[in-house]
Amino acid sequence: MPALLDARSLVKHLGGRRVVDGVDLACETSQIVGLLGPNGAGKTTTLRMLYGFLRPDAGLIHVNGVELGRDLVRAKRAIGVCTQDDTFDGDFTVEQNLTIAAGYFRPRPVDLRRRVAELLERFDLAGYARAKPETLSGGYRRRLMIARALVHRPRLLFLDEPTTGLDPQARMGVWDLVAGLRAEGLGIILTTHYMDEAERLSDALTVLARGRVVARGTAKTVLGDLVGEHVVVVHATHGAAVAAWLRTRGRGEPASVLGAWHVPLSGEELAEFARAFPALRYEVRGPTLDDLFLKLSLAP
Amino acid sequence: MRWLAAALEWQSRAVVGRHLRVYMRNWHTAFLPPALEPVTMLIAFGLGLGGYVASLSWQGRPVEYMTYVAPGLVAYATFMTAMFQALFAAFIRMRYQRTWEGQLTTQVELAHVVWGEVLWAGLLATMYVAIVSVVLVAIQWVGLLALDLRWLPALWPIAFVAGCGFAALGLCFTAIVPTIDHMNLPVFLLVLPMGLLSSTYFPLEHPVLVALNVANPLYHLAQTFRAILIGGPVGGHLAGVVALSALMLGVLVPLDLRLLRRRVLGD
Repeated sequence: MPALLDARSLVKHLGGRRVVDGVDLACETSQIVGLLGPNGAGKTTTLRMLYGFLRPDAGLIHVNGVELGRDLVRAKRAIGVCTQDDTFDGDFTVEQNLTIAAGYFRPRPVDLRRRVAELLERFDLAGYARAKPETLSGGYRRRLMIARALVHRPRLLFLDEPTTGLDPQARMGVWDLVAGLRAEGLGIILTTHYMDEAERLSDALTVLARGRVVARGTAKTVLGDLVGEHVVVVHATHGAAVAAWLRTRGRGEPASVLGAWHVPLSGEELAEFARAFPALRYEVRGPTLDDLFLKLSLAP
Repeated sequence: MRWLAAALEWQSRAVVGRHLRVYMRNWHTAFLPPALEPVTMLIAFGLGLGGYVASLSWQGRPVEYMTYVAPGLVAYATFMTAMFQALFAAFIRMRYQRTWEGQLTTQVELAHVVWGEVLWAGLLATMYVAIVSVVLVAIQWVGLLALDLRWLPALWPIAFVAGCGFAALGLCFTAIVPTIDHMNLPVFLLVLPMGLLSSTYFPLEHPVLVALNVANPLYHLAQTFRAILIGGPVGGHLAGVVALSALMLGVLVPLDLRLLRRRVLGD
């Protein structure tokens, strides 16, 4: 049985710059793959190639066993897309947005009326069926965007920063819906800037930096590979001594957040750090995806 | 020729269907402008200006100014409807409503979006011409016009072809103007001069304009409509409309696609 999504060696140039450089990505049934990376890492360009919006300069993409470049229309029948910005049709009501979107797919979704009613119910939009999308709150607009991406019963769903700008309650509502979709067998590619979201929802992470995959695996593996086992948080007033110590180990200046330095260290390095600074007050914590982002942002 | 085949594919029809559904929802207000505009224009130009002009010479025979201007009005309506759809309505859907982006996340591709806009503009122009036709029948019935109305429905398919060509031209500007305010440039530099200097409202006999109008599809459209409704040889100008519309579609739709691929897809 082929993977729902199998992308290999993707390359894309935009404006004369190599924005995506040899990216591989795969997604199986009932799996959420988090695609992470700092701004400019190539996430959105990669995603746009995967759902057929952009053509790759090199590389192959198979969706549900169909090569995207060979039969785009057939491949797109299996894809649902929730873009980062709201792109619903403002000329129609919430309910009409679902029926209009369904009209852009062949074969047409079977029993459309029931499918639309089911989605309105499931996404808690039934009370707004006759409302215009622009009258909805941010959380409900996102719900509509996801519902619209599902109207034709796709097998693979792309969610591009689905909770950006939402309040915590609305975010958690979207998380529940996404987790439910995975349980139903959908493969989901998720991009997000929220580290807790990526950690909670994703079964696997792929981390991009400067257009390349720099790590992949579970959150724990990725963090261990790229950040380290521990992060020492030390006040910046002690920065000169710590920086000098790091330099002797061939390390550059660490990330600074609100007057504190966050120094990723291995277990061995942490023991040496403790011996080198016996009188220093500091905090040791486990690494998070925020540390990963900070590290990638600082990388030359 | 993939771009050409897209015109006949179901996705382009789905895009047209979407626009038609929006339009028909507001049919009672949407049908008002094409019905009222020719009445206003005929009163202003026909009765007002016509009072000073009396009669004109058309194909070597005298015609009343009202009768001369009525077919020109139909041609002008075709041109303006298609151009304004492709310029303003398409720009709003592309830039502000982001309708195109939503469509492009489905099985619809950019070529279908572009053809959908072109075909819709052609269809809307045809609908406007059909409404104007009804108004002309009414005005003739009260005795203000002396047109040969037997071939009136023949105007509709011609309006469709020309409307599609004009829309392809309008989309070029939609693809390149940075904001909707910049639409003033094509409107004042192209649309209005072309609309008025094409023998739509009055005959133009200056040799330079006559020479320029050989390549002006709106001029040929006005003359074709005039030949059909007043009586005269249709062939040459009809061939001009068809040839120039085909040329606009053949050259400008691929150009629209190229420019819009960069603008919409960033590619």
